[in-house]
Amino acid sequence: MSRPAETLDLTGVPCPANAARALLVIEGLPAGAFLRISLDDGEPIQNVPPALEEQGHVVVDKVRIGTGWQVLVKKGEEA
Amino acid sequence: MEIYLDNAATTQPATAVLLAMSECSRRCYGNPASWHRLGVEAAKVVERSRQTLAEALGAEPDEIVFTSGGTESNNLAVKGTAWAAGRRGKHIVISAVEHPSVTAAALSLEKLGVRVSLVGVDSEGLVDPAAVARVLTSATILVSVMHANHEIGALEPVQEIGRLCRGRGILFHCDACQSFTKEPLDVAKVPVDLLSVNAHKLHGPKGIGALYVRKGTALAPLFDGGGQEGGRRSDTLNTPAIAGFAAAIEAVDLRAASVMRRLRDRLWDSLRRAVPGIRLNGPRKARLCNNLNVMLPETESKPLLRKLSAAGIYASAGAACSSAKPEPSPVLLAIGLSPQETVRSLRLSLSRWTTQAQVDAAARAIVRLAGGS
Repeated sequence: MSRPAETLDLTGVPCPANAARALLVIEGLPAGAFLRISLDDGEPIQNVPPALEEQGHVVVDKVRIGTGWQVLVKKGEEA
Repeated sequence: MEIYLDNAATTQPATAVLLAMSECSRRCYGNPASWHRLGVEAAKVVERSRQTLAEALGAEPDEIVFTSGGTESNNLAVKGTAWAAGRRGKHIVISAVEHPSVTAAALSLEKLGVRVSLVGVDSEGLVDPAAVARVLTSATILVSVMHANHEIGALEPVQEIGRLCRGRGILFHCDACQSFTKEPLDVAKVPVDLLSVNAHKLHGPKGIGALYVRKGTALAPLFDGGGQEGGRRSDTLNTPAIAGFAAAIEAVDLRAASVMRRLRDRLWDSLRRAVPGIRLNGPRKARLCNNLNVMLPETESKPLLRKLSAAGIYASAGAACSSAKPEPSPVLLAIGLSPQETVRSLRLSLSRWTTQAQVDAAARAIVRLAGGS
């Protein structure tokens, strides 16, 4: 499995602009590519991963780092 | 042939803009604050557009606040910084030739105890940075000087004014509604903290603008509400207009400025050769590429504009926002025109769609109607 080439810091970005920006970056990646996203705790970690999954991407991992989160997403094959 | 020379008032929307707005209205009608799929699709349009605008200004996307237009952007910049400064807000400096939305916003703060200084301009409409420096005090919280004047096209020395503000820890706001995409202005290079732009001066839709707010700048919102735009501007975002704004920016041809400048100079040459005593209002050199403002010694502008309109040629006497007011233009008065001369002044503003044939036909019509040879 290749490691993620892209990272995206969405800490401090309000909802749902954070989800929109994540989706715009993912859309520019090839199918199967990985994106590691930094998110704030609270509403962002609760809402952004489901929004990505709804559009066909796979949330591989969610790790708490300090006061925020890092989420590893794989671009869906059909997305 | 219709000849539209009132592009400083507003422009005709580009086809790409209309298509982007129509497509967005049909397909992305969700509220961009909603978490369902249609809402997120609308949010993607907003964030893609925000990125486009940020790149055009040299800003970060989070530094862009969408507004309803230039007037709101200017009000948000002036009142928002004063309100955020609270009891510290004692003094604001603006130029004497600002757009009414800056001047009126600043003067409205006087009832809250804010002192407002108006810095005059020279006979070409240019602000002297040294004159700004002279009125700054330890209580000054904001200086607001426009990039390009809406009536006479004067390109103000914003680099120098911004530098002196930055050196003293004073916020600098710049109204760039007339110049955006016509003259280079990169917020990474110009020391500006707040910058107003809108879409309808660049073949975009009306009712949409933005305020660039440099990261870390304290700004109180004008409206109470849902806290959109990071709490800086509540209201449901106008997604189709935002999409149209981005489409207008993407359609800009950077080579157009030199063409507009050449045609504007051609128009001026034609008029000054044929109309005895005609004078140029505003600068000869430091001037926005699409602006021409002239004083016709023997002709009042309002009857002339009516005759031109009947001939299919559209121009104005000054700022569109002030057209309904009978008072002489404060901008023209500030550069030394008499009240009688202000009502003999004509603003002709080009767009990137203006052609040489249109400019030549307009010049012939003006010369004929203004009694030139």
